[in-house]
Amino acid sequence: MSLKRIFEQHPERRYIMFGGKGGLGKTTFSAATAYWLASQGKKVLVFSVDPQASLSDIFERDIFGKGPVQIMENLWAQEIDADQHIKQYQNEIRQKILDMYGFDEIPEEIEQYIQAASAEPAMEESAIFDAVVDIVVEGNYDYYIYDLVPLGHALYYLSMAKVYDEWINKITKLREEMREYEEMVSRLKRERELEEDAILRELLYIRSRINESSNILTDREKTAFFFVVVPEEMILIDTQKAAGLFAKFDVPISGYIVNRVVPRDLLRLEIPAYLRNRIEMQDRYLEQIGVMFSDQVVAHVPELERDVAGLPMIKTLSEIMYAD
Amino acid sequence: MPEKKKGFVQNMREVIYGMAAHDMSRYALRTRASMEHLFILITMGDMIGIPILPPYYSLRLLPYVVPQISTWKRRLLREKDISDAMF
Repeated sequence: MSLKRIFEQHPERRYIMFGGKGGLGKTTFSAATAYWLASQGKKVLVFSVDPQASLSDIFERDIFGKGPVQIMENLWAQEIDADQHIKQYQNEIRQKILDMYGFDEIPEEIEQYIQAASAEPAMEESAIFDAVVDIVVEGNYDYYIYDLVPLGHALYYLSMAKVYDEWINKITKLREEMREYEEMVSRLKRERELEEDAILRELLYIRSRINESSNILTDREKTAFFFVVVPEEMILIDTQKAAGLFAKFDVPISGYIVNRVVPRDLLRLEIPAYLRNRIEMQDRYLEQIGVMFSDQVVAHVPELERDVAGLPMIKTLSEIMYAD
Repeated sequence: MPEKKKGFVQNMREVIYGMAAHDMSRYALRTRASMEHLFILITMGDMIGIPILPPYYSLRLLPYVVPQISTWKRRLLREKDISDAMF
């Protein structure tokens, strides 16, 4: 089935993701897909959370940390600055503490904790996915194209989300039990109603955020996840492993796109042995891809004669990807 | 605040509360306090080197437990002493 048909048959799949090892063309495909959808009249946001994001490069505009930037009609692009997001979040927490207790400054041990917490590696993952939830919940785009960072990152978050969800359930239960004791005391002392437990409310909020962000990745109805591969042995082995893991976390895989296929037309010309060998090698792996993923292969994209950057090149690529 | 003389009924109510329910509510409060400390341990564990909840989200809870942090740390670090037997 072609990519175009998939999009036409499943208009409900509004979260589009391209995953795969680094450097295989995820950003390029994200941009081309965004371009194609936008030119079909859909309102599209393509966004990236990678600190080394290349959306700026491909659209040839500096959009890092600037919120959604309009690239052309119907097409917006955004690169999230995770550091900036974390700093802003820390400041909100600080302000809340100052406001709640009327302090002039944050007590030292609390400040130390805030700083230490932000240095943890999990901080960035959580912050990124939290920002993604904001984007997806707030925006009113028809399509969200998620230029996914290399696979490990997403898998890590998914497994985190599962563990956290259970943890939060347990903590919430503890909190509810505490609440019962509180109620008992207030009944015994014949006090009036208790005030609402703000912590319990926060916990429920946290749980909903974590679930929401992992749902974006695992929603069978609304999410389409495409793996990008190239006809090379290492990539195929890795992709197969990753696909297995993704399946375990219920990420719905919509198809595989094969990139960097050397055009077969070349074989009709006088070409050096070097190129001929490469084509033969690719043929071998393409066959293997056919066996591995069979009808899940949705597109073959040729190695283009130059870099994909700037709208004209993106347009060319989108016409190749979304040909009938 | 001007002290108002308590009526007989009010007095009786307090005496009965003291006889019947005070112990119970003290016990409940103590249990509640232990749970509070357990809760802070689970959510703010990083403070004493036990990371449990993801830091991004424990920061959200931080403002609410600020006043309890120092008693919590004291309690965790405290060795058993005579007050354990007393209360």
